[in-house]
Amino acid sequence: MAVLKIENLIKDYGSLRAVNKVSFEVQSGEVFGLLGPNGAGKTSIISTITTLEKPTEGKITINNLDVTQHERATKAVTGVVPQELVTHGYFNVEEILTFQSGYYGLRNNKEKIHSLMQQLELWSHRHKKIRHLSGGMKRRLMIAKALMHSPQLLLLDEPTAGVDVELRYSIWEQVRNLKKAGVAILFTTHYLEEAEKLCDRVAIIHEGKIQKQGGTKELVQKLTSRHLTVTLKNKVDYTHPALINQQDNTLEFRVPYSTKIGQFLSELNFQNDNILDMKIREGTLEEAFKYVLNRGEM
Amino acid sequence: MTDTSIKKQELIWTPFLMLLSREVRRFIKVLAQTIFIPTINSFIYLLIFGVSIGKNIKVLEGISYLEFLIPGLVMMGCMNNGFQNSSSSLLGMKFGREIVDIKAVPLTVQQIIWAMSLGGLCRGLVVGTVVFLSGELFYYFYENTWLVPVHPFYFVLFCIIGGLAFTKLGIIVAFLAKTFDHVSAIGGFIILPLIYLGGVFFSLENLSPFWVNFSYANPLLYFINGVRYGVLGVSDVPVGVALWVSLLGLLLFHLLAVWALKKGSYQPW
Repeated sequence: MAVLKIENLIKDYGSLRAVNKVSFEVQSGEVFGLLGPNGAGKTSIISTITTLEKPTEGKITINNLDVTQHERATKAVTGVVPQELVTHGYFNVEEILTFQSGYYGLRNNKEKIHSLMQQLELWSHRHKKIRHLSGGMKRRLMIAKALMHSPQLLLLDEPTAGVDVELRYSIWEQVRNLKKAGVAILFTTHYLEEAEKLCDRVAIIHEGKIQKQGGTKELVQKLTSRHLTVTLKNKVDYTHPALINQQDNTLEFRVPYSTKIGQFLSELNFQNDNILDMKIREGTLEEAFKYVLNRGEM
Repeated sequence: MTDTSIKKQELIWTPFLMLLSREVRRFIKVLAQTIFIPTINSFIYLLIFGVSIGKNIKVLEGISYLEFLIPGLVMMGCMNNGFQNSSSSLLGMKFGREIVDIKAVPLTVQQIIWAMSLGGLCRGLVVGTVVFLSGELFYYFYENTWLVPVHPFYFVLFCIIGGLAFTKLGIIVAFLAKTFDHVSAIGGFIILPLIYLGGVFFSLENLSPFWVNFSYANPLLYFINGVRYGVLGVSDVPVGVALWVSLLGLLLFHLLAVWALKKGSYQPW
């Protein structure tokens, strides 16, 4: 079931078209990655979903309800972790989470507040004001706020930007658990390795337009190739259309996903006793991303 | 996955009460700024104008200047602090990016306006009460009797209307402001002069006809004179007129606040 559905979204800022006819869906229990360079339009899309910005054209629905017409109902099922850290000058961690819970209509929610503080390792900091928290702790607090009402849709706008490795792994774990629990997650990130690990489907956005979208693995297979590196005992002079690099006895080939490795090897026609080593490297989302951004040039 | 216990009814009262609680707790956390400083300022006004200079100032027939000044200062405390509370809270939210949170949660425009207004009104009424009690002490010291409001209902009613109107004005200004300078400029160049020229320190009887007509165009005159009627039983403006103009002012500020929240920017600074 599509929890979030975006159809032909356009967002203009004066004469600048930040988002240009973007359409995609995020299903329940799915992590959908929105990937693109800075200024590609990712945050503008999230801002229109949260109604922080009004769409110039197009439609955004959450559980089939238009976000501009059913603000309260759609926000009640959505959690947001914004890209920039939020600072609340006067209040401590526990107070902020209590307010957040109340904003979603949840009174006497201490159990959930305490459980989230423990889960996100905020418990020992619960009486600290935000300005006394480290960047990582602030990020944890923002995640706790977004999860306070057990949302159906979670918008994570670069949640791992500037966090240490430990917290990054902890956020990944949270995302996986939420996915298992059926939450639809829209995830933006600059870290393509992270997107590859977490996202079921991705859209690559550039200059406000979605250039490619699809299943993460399918997109990688469609837009990239495997790299086969063969090290030979004896140097041979070899030419092949798939050969992309040769250094001494080591030959590197680009093998399309449509070609089976066994079949390719037999085409190469190496003598088995001349092969010293052989390595296969899969294509990566980063390569697919570069391919799309460079308009097809690898 | 979503907590099914979140019912529509709970999205009406709980978010509103939570934001109201946040607003009240915010000014309680910084009592020195929000309560003590305005109280000391009013105390100084009472000392300098009410007692020292006031002996030589004639206002309404049969009323001492100290008596005349107290209700004006109470109203000034309510309005000024109501304005300060809502505007500084919103500016703080814009500066700390908390404004994005407020937009992302299921709070409606009306809930935001009423919660922030009532939070500001609480502060305005606390300051107003402290100013009134200080005025009572001064009055007792110099007149040997307590100043008993003649129409307590009107006294409280006008304090509430004036305080609420100014909290809404604070919301309008903070929402439309692009920088801190905008807010201080509007506070310094428009609101403060209107308060001072609204009859806190003088009666219309002391003014030339031109300035009397000019003052009638100042909506604050009606708020201040309404409170004065509540305390002293006399004022420069008939209480019925003061009440209607004050209510219209409150409605206008409320509608403008709704417009500001719908059209203004939730973008943080």
